[in-house]
Amino acid sequence: MTWKTKSTASPDSTTILRGLASRSRVLLGSSVYNALLETLYDEAAALDERRFDDWTAMLDAELIYTAPIRLTRTGPNRDRDVMRTMFHFDEDYGSIMMRTGRLQKSAWAEDPPSRCRRFVSNVRIGELETAGEYEVVSYLFLERSRGDNPENERLTAERRDVWRDVDGAYKLVKREVIVDQSVLGMSNLAVFL
Amino acid sequence: MLQKSSLTLSDGTTLDDLIMRDSNEVSLRVMTDKELYDIEMERIFAKTWLLLGHESEIPNSGDFIVRDMAEDNVIIARDREGGVNVSLNVCPHRGMRVCLGEAGNKPIHQCIYHGWAFKPNGDFIGAPVEREKMHGNDVDKATLGLKKARVALYGGMIFATWNLDGPSFDEYLGDMKYYLDQLFCRTDNGLELLGPPQRFVIPCNWKVPGEQSGSDGFHTLTLHRSLMEGGIMGGTAESIYDQAPGMYGVDVSCEQGHSLRCLEAEKTFKMFADISFEGKSTVERLNLLTPPGITKEMIPQLFNNLSEDQVEQLATIPPQVGGMFPNILIAFIFAPRMDGGSSGALALHTYVPKGPDKVEFVNFIFAEKDAPEQMKRDMLQNSIQSTGTSGTIEQDDADVWPVIMRNARGGVSKHMTLKYKALHGHERPEGWKGGGLLYPGFTKDDTQWNWWLAYHKLMSEA
Repeated sequence: MTWKTKSTASPDSTTILRGLASRSRVLLGSSVYNALLETLYDEAAALDERRFDDWTAMLDAELIYTAPIRLTRTGPNRDRDVMRTMFHFDEDYGSIMMRTGRLQKSAWAEDPPSRCRRFVSNVRIGELETAGEYEVVSYLFLERSRGDNPENERLTAERRDVWRDVDGAYKLVKREVIVDQSVLGMSNLAVFL
Repeated sequence: MLQKSSLTLSDGTTLDDLIMRDSNEVSLRVMTDKELYDIEMERIFAKTWLLLGHESEIPNSGDFIVRDMAEDNVIIARDREGGVNVSLNVCPHRGMRVCLGEAGNKPIHQCIYHGWAFKPNGDFIGAPVEREKMHGNDVDKATLGLKKARVALYGGMIFATWNLDGPSFDEYLGDMKYYLDQLFCRTDNGLELLGPPQRFVIPCNWKVPGEQSGSDGFHTLTLHRSLMEGGIMGGTAESIYDQAPGMYGVDVSCEQGHSLRCLEAEKTFKMFADISFEGKSTVERLNLLTPPGITKEMIPQLFNNLSEDQVEQLATIPPQVGGMFPNILIAFIFAPRMDGGSSGALALHTYVPKGPDKVEFVNFIFAEKDAPEQMKRDMLQNSIQSTGTSGTIEQDDADVWPVIMRNARGGVSKHMTLKYKALHGHERPEGWKGGGLLYPGFTKDDTQWNWWLAYHKLMSEA
């Protein structure tokens, strides 16, 4: 990902990009589609059940994991709303391992843990140029219950992933989480998206 | 004798019943009371200086951003003369927001409801169908501008207040300017905001994070225990309370309620533990351990912009964390990286009230404009991984605050008090050059109590 600092006010075409970019679709119901969908379900279950070792085993060592902020824009810039200069998450494999490692110790934000349901849907898949690599776009609906608070915190997002076939298992190489809120209603992101 | 406050709530409770200045306690009720909140909006948030953003967000004529001064939405725009203007984002015609985007460039802001139009400086231009005088029959156009706030720029930071005749910005800073200059005004080209702020809402009163921003150092040992477990701060998980890393230094504050914790880096962070400053000059110290955000190449700039005494402090016992009253947290911290670097993290937060039981956490992440691009990249990552939405330090704070808030609602609980009785008392360390109220040694409750005294003072003034 190219990256340079820039002011808030100046519009930039990189702020438009959402959804599936690949033109070579992997058809719904095909064996690759089914296997990747199953991978997404397995991943959601690992995270919901806080099996972080199982989750990190699904991550490639080259992982780039980001969540750019959204901005409300108007006029000619109305669709330039994904600000890839500032992020809620700005991670690589090492920092994700640091975060999951912390969760095993004194991370009060998740001790007691929140109870999460990650609903993954609207999965669209395309082939990438490198054989065995797939662009996987999905919707995420996260419901998060904390303590004895009867009101859940929730978050919706689009996830733009790259998954790589490594010896018959898919590894997450890249994830960009495009959250829908410009102001998050969730009081922290101590959980993964 | 303390002067009695003039504030009495409708049930007869006075401000002195809530902020107990003789026993250094604060009633938990202050966190939930709607009546008190409404008075805060008038006596604090419409009166004092508030941080809104940074000049680097609006470099060009017509550039604008939209932010909140408590629950009042404002447009911050650069005009053709290069000036920065802050205007209430409420159309004087029928109350609609004039500007609906959060950022952009517009030479004219036109309300989408009836079309009244305004310049970036808030001046009224006109209403559509000019011949029909839809702005009013005998109304002077000069009276129809957006309501303008008073603006102050400090180190590129944009502050504003509705208090047009109130204290100057320098009076607001008071003795803290000497220390804040070391963070905000130390390089030739100053700071740069790396992108629009992270924003998220926490279900608690603004004063829960607010009083913590008054330099609560003590909570770090327990709430942020993972910093010690992760080997970032000195000591080990087993010896946290024996060694108390990061607890000893000099806390500074002032009657305006601002405060900073000045910490000797080599005594705070494990990775610097072998560096001895004994007998070293200021320049040698700076080269051994550059302050967060500063490169070795930028060291001469420090001397251009700060006094020798200020640079000496920055080299020896730099301000690291603290806050500015009423709702700013400062974290200009050493942030050891996993790749061995120590480029630091520079973040400011504002805790913007959104009702008695909601606060918006706005996280501004900075780097020095002259820093190399890769260093800015690293610093963005350092700040995101430590502070704000997902930061491994502050996600624990965001977990505590709503629980305190829920406690404050109980009929019995709300009469419990927050206690600030562990006091050191003002003491000037030998050879200390800066002003203000000084608390050397272990970090105690003094600075947070000063925060509450500043709160009490403003709330007493009708």
